[in-house]
Formats: sequence, C-alpha cells, structure tokens
Amino acid sequence: MSTVSAQPSWWRRNEVRLAPYLFIGPFYVLYALFMIIPIGAGVYLSFTDWAGLGAPQWIGLENYRYLLQDNSFWTSLGNTVFYMSFTMLVVLPASLLLASALNARGLKLRDTFRIIFFVPVVISPIVVALVFGLIFDGQFGLMNALLQAVFGFGGIEWTTDPLWARVVVVVLVLWRWTGYLTIFFLAGLQNVPRELYEAAALDGAGAVRSFLSVTLPALRPVTAFIGVTVLVSTAQIFEEPFLLTQGGPGESTLSIAMFIYRAAFQRQELGYAAAAGVLMFAAVFTIGRIALRLFQVGRNA
Amino acid sequence: MSDPTRRQVLWGFGALGAAALAGCSSASATPITQGEVQLNFWAHDPGYDATFAASAVDPAIQQGSRWTYELEMTAANAGDLVSRAITQAVARRRGPDLIGVVVDQFPRMMKSRIAQNMLVPLDDLIQPFGDQLLKQGSYTSDGSVYGLESDNSISVLYYRQDVFQENDIPETVGSWEELAEAGTRLAATTGQAIGMVSTGDPGAVFNSFLQFLLQRGGSVFGADGSLTLDSDESREVLAFMRKGVQDGFLMPLADPYGGAVAAALKNSELVATVMPNWYRAYGLEANVPDQEGLWKIRTIPPFQAGGHIASTLGGTGFAVASDTARSDAAVELLRRTYLTPEGQFLRYQKGGYLPTLAPLYQEPQFLEITDPFLGGQRIFEVYGEAALDMPAFDQHVGMQVMTTTLGGPVLDAVMGRSTPDQAIAAAVAAYRNQVRQ
Repeated sequence: MSTVSAQPSWWRRNEVRLAPYLFIGPFYVLYALFMIIPIGAGVYLSFTDWAGLGAPQWIGLENYRYLLQDNSFWTSLGNTVFYMSFTMLVVLPASLLLASALNARGLKLRDTFRIIFFVPVVISPIVVALVFGLIFDGQFGLMNALLQAVFGFGGIEWTTDPLWARVVVVVLVLWRWTGYLTIFFLAGLQNVPRELYEAAALDGAGAVRSFLSVTLPALRPVTAFIGVTVLVSTAQIFEEPFLLTQGGPGESTLSIAMFIYRAAFQRQELGYAAAAGVLMFAAVFTIGRIALRLFQVGRNA
Repeated sequence: MSDPTRRQVLWGFGALGAAALAGCSSASATPITQGEVQLNFWAHDPGYDATFAASAVDPAIQQGSRWTYELEMTAANAGDLVSRAITQAVARRRGPDLIGVVVDQFPRMMKSRIAQNMLVPLDDLIQPFGDQLLKQGSYTSDGSVYGLESDNSISVLYYRQDVFQENDIPETVGSWEELAEAGTRLAATTGQAIGMVSTGDPGAVFNSFLQFLLQRGGSVFGADGSLTLDSDESREVLAFMRKGVQDGFLMPLADPYGGAVAAALKNSELVATVMPNWYRAYGLEANVPDQEGLWKIRTIPPFQAGGHIASTLGGTGFAVASDTARSDAAVELLRRTYLTPEGQFLRYQKGGYLPTLAPLYQEPQFLEITDPFLGGQRIFEVYGEAALDMPAFDQHVGMQVMTTTLGGPVLDAVMGRSTPDQAIAAAVAAYRNQVRQ
C-alpha cells in the first residue's frame, strides 16, 4: 500500500522566504507613506503655484528664481546662520563647561543641579515665551527694572530694536538648551576613566591642562554627536523666535523655518513654501553630512 | 503557482497603501431641504458658539424655518480654522458648514479663488439691505461677498473720566491735536498717557497703525485693489504716532492685551486709548475690573486735516461651505441670526457684538442699553453716532504680505529710527518685492 503525500500549501512553500519581508514591511509602508511620498510631493509642489486648493499649476523653476530674489528669504537665512553660529560657539561650550563643573568630585546637590538644568527643556514653550516677554518688556519688564536698580540705566528696547531682539532670542535658546545638552556631556564625562586624570595630575597637569588634554579628547565622540544634532536642529529653529517676537521687529528675528511657515500658512503660498522647504532640506542635509564627516561621527578614532 | 519575486511583494505593499488612501474619499449627498440637520460649526470665540446655539433654538428667530438645527461646535485659533477647512476640502472630507473667518485670515481665502471654490456667495442674501448692511468690504472677493460680519468693531476713545476731570482735560475736546496737547501736558506732569501704540510683533504694529490710518481717512488698499498706502494720510499718521511716543502722550506697548498693558492700566499710567468696542471686555474689564465706573467712551476726536470720528479694527465674518447637503440650511441659519433685528439683538446679548444693520442703532432696545463698567453710560448714543461715520476697510489678497512688510518700517518710524517718508518707501518696496510686482 502506498501513501500519497499531500502537496504543501503555497504559504508553506514560501513562508521562510516571505517572513523577513512581512516583518520589515510595516516599517517601509509607513516610511513610504509618511516620508518618501510627502518629500516627493513637496519636491513636486516646489515646481508649482498652489494656494492649497484646486490643481497646482506647473511653473518650473519660477519659485526658486523668486526665492533667490526675495530679500526676506536672505534675511531669514542670515538670521538662521546667526542662530546656528551662536549655538555652536556659545551654547555648546557652555554646556560642556557646565557638565565639567557638575562632574567635579565632591560636588553636593549634584542631582538637584541636574534637575534644575533640565527643567527649561520640559517647560511648555508657550509659558517660556510669556515669561520671557514679561522679563524683556521694554516698558514694564523685569530686566530693565533690574538694570535701572543696579546700574542706573534701563531703557533698553529689548524686543523692539532689531539687534536686541536677536539677543533676546539667543538668550532664550541659551537658557532653554544649555541644561539639556549638559546632560549628554555629563553622561560622556562619567565614562572618562579617573585614571587618566590621575595620570595627568602625576605629570603635573593643572585643571586647564587636564581639561584640554584629557577631557576634550575623551569626549570627542559625544561632542561630535551633540554638535551635529544641535547644528541640524538649530538650522530648523522655529519655536523661540515665533513665540517671542513673531519674527519681528520687521524680519530681524525671522528664521528659515518661520519663513516657510509664513509662506504656507499665513500667505497660502504652498508652492513657494515647498521650494523654500526643499532648499532648507538640501542645506540641512548637506550641513549634516559635512558635519558628520568633519566630526567623524560613528567612526573609530 | 510560482514563488513571488521580491518586486511583486513590494508592489503588493504599495497596492495596499493605495487602497487605504482611496478609502479616505467621501461621497456627496443630496441637499437636505427640511427637517433636522446637523451642522459643523467652527469658530475661535465661544461667544459665537453661544450666539448660534441660542439662535438655533430661539422660537422668535426660527419661526417658520424649514429646518431644526443641531450644532457640532469646534473651537480652534483663527489661523488653524482656515488651514483646517482648506485641508478638509482638499481631502474631500467633511469640514465646517458654518465657519467664522477672522478678518485678517480672509485674504488667505482670496488666493487662487479659494473663497469662490469653498464658500457660498451671499450677494443675493444681502442684496435687499443695500448700504444698510455695514462692513461688507471685509469679506468681499472679486466683487462677491462671502462672509457676514459678526461685529461692527467700532473704535472709540476709552478714557478715565476721573483722571480727565482732575487734570482739566475737556471730555468734549474737538480734535486729536487738542487732545494730544493736553496729553503732552499730562505726560509731563503725571507721567500718564492718553493712548498707546503697539511695538510688538508685526501684526500688532500693523493694526495699531491701521486703526489711526483709517480714522484719518487713509487706507492700505483701495476698493479697486490698488495700493494706496503711499499717501499724505499715511505719513501724517506716522508723524503723529512718532510725536505721541516722543512727547509721552502715546505709550509704546508690546500689544494691547498682554502683561504690559495690564500693568499700565493697573498703575493708572494708561488712562485713555482708542480701541474697538470689544476692548471693553477683553482689554479693560479683564485687566482692571476694579476700575468699573471710572471709564467712559466717546467718539474719537477727528484729525484737523480730516477723516472720521470713528475707526475699526478686527472682526469675524461667518461663511457657509458650498456644495454640501447642508449648505442651504446653514445659509438660512446665518440669515436668521445675522440679518434679522432679533438675531442681531441676541448676538449683542450673547457676545456684546455690535449690530451691522445701521438702522438698529436708532432702535430703543439698543439705545436703552447701559453699561455698568462704563458708569451706566448709554453706549449706543456713542456707537450710533460713530456708526454713521465709520471708515471702510477694503480687503486685498496681499493684505497678509503687507501686514508683515509694513510692521518693521512703521516700528522704525514710531521709535524714531526712520522718517515717515523712509518708512512708507521701505514698506512699499518690501511689499512689491514679496508679492513679486
């Protein structure tokens, strides 16, 4: 008596081959839906004149040509470069110094300090903007009252003078992000072996020499990661100038991200906003890649 | 059956995604001609919710209506309402049936005929009222009206009667120039100001300038759509604002609603200001309830060179989404609430919104209204006089651009960093650059 073995089903025959696709499939579907398609749509819209309703009208490179002639765009670009420079030259070093101070041996209330430094980043930006608005109000603000009481002058037009308005925005950036970045540096510092500092001390190195010769080289991977992250996120800065000054006075604190928002949602120029968005994407991507290579993120030292 | 290739598997996922997207579309329906109808009602101010909710069940207003209404309220900020309504229309999803469009958001709907494609033209509805219906220009695009104004938003002069009397400032002063002179003396002796100019974000600065400009008889855009900013009126107003800040009778404040103005009012440093009718509730009573009875209103003293005894600022026009099963029902609710005397009286009771039908200012039920915060003053005696001399405010598709391009130069002129000539030239140049003319 012979037995006839049943033909395995289609799924049985292909299950091993298909299983990996099924596991990774949901990610790629979502990635395509929420990343690839929107980016593609954005690039397409950047070549059109579209107010948000009706069929987009193809206008080729006109939006890009207008952008290059738009003084407002260049102003916002200049402001964004200023914000980026400030974060790289002031916020980043300040975070590192703060982390070094917090990492000092024998420091009491270390955890309390950590929490205090971390608080600004978890407070609602709306509340922060309201409080900063009260502090830096030219007429009734706390800062002018303080300056008046201590130094005898206090008539600074914090948010109505173009230069001072930029200063107020970067002060907000400094206050909001320094503590947050300090936490990253602190994590890095705690992985630096104590023996290195002891060896440096035996060689006669003081605090500054130890910082330059031990701390900085040891923190290089962390610094590189934070530097790239901060650079890319500052290139897209929006909340601070939007909530504090709405880009004013005039356009003196307008950032590129605000420029795009304004074009899309205040002026209903979605094609134009898309073109600015594409340029910003290209610039941020390029800056990110250059920074990655420059700081050698993810490479062995 | 052959094994699927990698490409076939990926195509399969793509087809699934496309099917999911296709499911997002909605079908159209036949118009609801009578009976119960559920309307999506979108607005930024709870006062409108209260007005329409009360109107929908008010037997006097709804007498003889073919519909009974159930309103589904959605509240959001003014900009988001318009953005969301447009995206819902693009996605062919149900959006608002009735939407309150704040006056500074309407220019967005003038772009690429969005208003024409999304909203019901209301020309036939308002035609019987002619010029008796005020503020039609604010929601007009290509000659058709797409929104009915909720509030006449008449700007008057609010002033502290006690401070004026103590300092011998006549309440019946005949011109801005005379009031400015008295204000300069007041500022020099007591440090108090009789007005404010906004120095905050570009929108606040623009509104501050616009209110004075309209009163002076100037405009930013003409009724024909031409740019009219470059005028003697604009320069005079900027010079006036600059002089006010310099001499101390106008106080520079970030915005008319924030913490700084609250401090100025509480300290009695700001003792008068030109603002619309709604400022009584949102600006004065909200910040200084303890000053009830001390404030009064009057028409604005005119500029000697000409202009009006009133101005206007702000407003919200209600519009109806077109081509839905509920459009006719929504138009009828809007008509009964906004174009009948009963509806306009209810509107005033629920939100303090001034009538937009001119004859109502002479009706006893309005004339007899007194305001406790304003010392029991019969306010419609003032608003009635002001309504007869309201300046027109004409919208333009470029108004949003002008708001941001004008804000900086106006602030520069007010703070003395440039002359009025330079400010106007800079604003016009920036506007032309940004609208690509």
